[in-house]
Amino acid sequence: MRILVVDDEPDLVEAVARGLRREGYAVDTALDGDDALAKASWTPYDLVCLDISMPGVDGLEVCRALRSNPPEGVAPRVLMLTARDTLDDRVRGLDVGADDYLVKPFAFDELAARVRSLLRRDGGRSGSVLVVGPLVLDTARHKARRGDRLVDLTAKEFALLRYFMSRPGEVISQEELLDHVWDEHADPFTNTVRVTVGTLRRKLSLEAEPSLLETVVGRGYRLLEEAPSS
Amino acid sequence: MNPVPGVTPAGRLPVRLGSIRTRLTLLYSILLFGLAAVMVGGIYLSLSRALSGEPMSRDARHAVLSGEGVTMSERALTTQVLASFEEEVNRRALDQLRTYLFLALAALLVSSLGVGWYVAGLVLRPIGRISLVAREISATDLSQRIELGGPSDELRDLADTFDDMLARLDGAFENQRRFVQEASHELRNPLAVMRTNLEVVMADPDSDPGDFRAAGEVASRAAVRMSALVDDLLLYVHHQRSDVRREEVDVAAVVGETVEDFVAAAAAVGVSLESDAVVPLTVLGDPAALRRALANLLSNAVRVSDPGGSVRVNAGHDSEMVWVSVTDDGQGLSVEDQARVFDRFWRGDRASAREAGRSGLGLAIVRRIAEGHGGRATVRSTITVGSTFTIWLPRLVGV
Repeated sequence: MRILVVDDEPDLVEAVARGLRREGYAVDTALDGDDALAKASWTPYDLVCLDISMPGVDGLEVCRALRSNPPEGVAPRVLMLTARDTLDDRVRGLDVGADDYLVKPFAFDELAARVRSLLRRDGGRSGSVLVVGPLVLDTARHKARRGDRLVDLTAKEFALLRYFMSRPGEVISQEELLDHVWDEHADPFTNTVRVTVGTLRRKLSLEAEPSLLETVVGRGYRLLEEAPSS
Repeated sequence: MNPVPGVTPAGRLPVRLGSIRTRLTLLYSILLFGLAAVMVGGIYLSLSRALSGEPMSRDARHAVLSGEGVTMSERALTTQVLASFEEEVNRRALDQLRTYLFLALAALLVSSLGVGWYVAGLVLRPIGRISLVAREISATDLSQRIELGGPSDELRDLADTFDDMLARLDGAFENQRRFVQEASHELRNPLAVMRTNLEVVMADPDSDPGDFRAAGEVASRAAVRMSALVDDLLLYVHHQRSDVRREEVDVAAVVGETVEDFVAAAAAVGVSLESDAVVPLTVLGDPAALRRALANLLSNAVRVSDPGGSVRVNAGHDSEMVWVSVTDDGQGLSVEDQARVFDRFWRGDRASAREAGRSGLGLAIVRRIAEGHGGRATVRSTITVGSTFTIWLPRLVGV
């Protein structure tokens, strides 16, 4: 899951980005509206955390632009972060298409919870626990299980597994994984995706367990919805 | 416990004799009754006097007595009968008249009380309306107005004056409310920086001392910014229009002192500071406030100047105003920005403004101080050439 954090306050952007990376997201940052729109035009973000009052193009305009002209046809979800908290401000924010609204100063835990909720495919109806076949992923507590066995994952592996589990059964290309699970600092020419998928696959399937992550040659990877009967 | 004048609970008349309505009614009624009583009494008295004079039957008696065959005793008898008859008729008529007059006066008294009560109520109704609205107004909702219609009379004037006052109060409160809201928004940004940085670094078990130090530095920067903001907020509130101290101030001296204070700071960033010697320019005002205003203009000018640039301070006067201007050779302001540059919390470039710890109140304070002294603050600017900020103050003539 890839997130863009936009605020004209560099100290805030860095802290939010750091916290969200810790939660296992790929996070890019932008310090003004123009920068945000430029980045959003070449990266299909899953979520944009957007400050409203910025010099130049403000958050409302950015949100409107993202909604009316989404990159790659899918508009990212938008979480407004703002110091303005009057009813009018909230209504205006939601009217231009924001999915949620958080008033500064916020508790980081609340921000993380709202981000989790917004990033679930059904908009948060399913709760914070993803289940695919024998795999159970608690996205709030950062715990992954296969059956009864706890699987110990790094932040990146966790992010990767969450992305696979949000789209079970679909073939997902390396490029897409690079776009959604890695941030702008990732080098697109390394084999980091292949390596991380490899370690994740090994951690999910110990000795006798059948593999759940399948490589589709030339196209990408797929998370099986049912464990194959061995 | 507050009785509501003019509005009585179901069917009960107000019993307060002290109310204006009662007093008006009584006054009206007594005056009317008195006038009527005097007039009626006068009519009665003059009538009774006219009737008690020479009996009107004299001509009749004469006619009777001049006839033939009337004896002396008959004549005397007739005269007596006629006189007493006439007297009796007069007495009865006067009695009757008196009774009617008393009845009429009694009826007049009663009806004048009623009419007086009604008319007084009619006249005083707008006042009831005014006090009703005044009572319903609370400090948080000043949106109500009396909106008294009808002819433009004294009470309409009163109500309109009251409405005008409400509108002014409403404006002042609204302005105050907006200011508090804007101020809290401004304070929220550094608070968010502190909170998020501290929470994120504390929640991460892998944070090392370097991370904590970095978060501490960020929080400390935010705190410095907040205190500068709070200082400026207090200054801004302090320089309310009505707070101006009045003493004779020589603006030339204020310019000299303030420029002296800034020479070192300007030189440190490579900006030269010049001011021309000026004749004494006297205004009425608060010297500390005027120094603050000029200092804000100077720090603004030094900040927007590039190293090697120069800032000029001039002062002078025309027939009515004394002016002090600060000219920089910075980037200048667009026409749009010139219109907003004195607005509170307006910053030309917010990101860099925050790094420099600026509150966005400096020029707003300048404007407040100038207006507080009965003057104004203006700006003229050309993009890439620079800006000139000027404070205009009413000149104290005849000293």
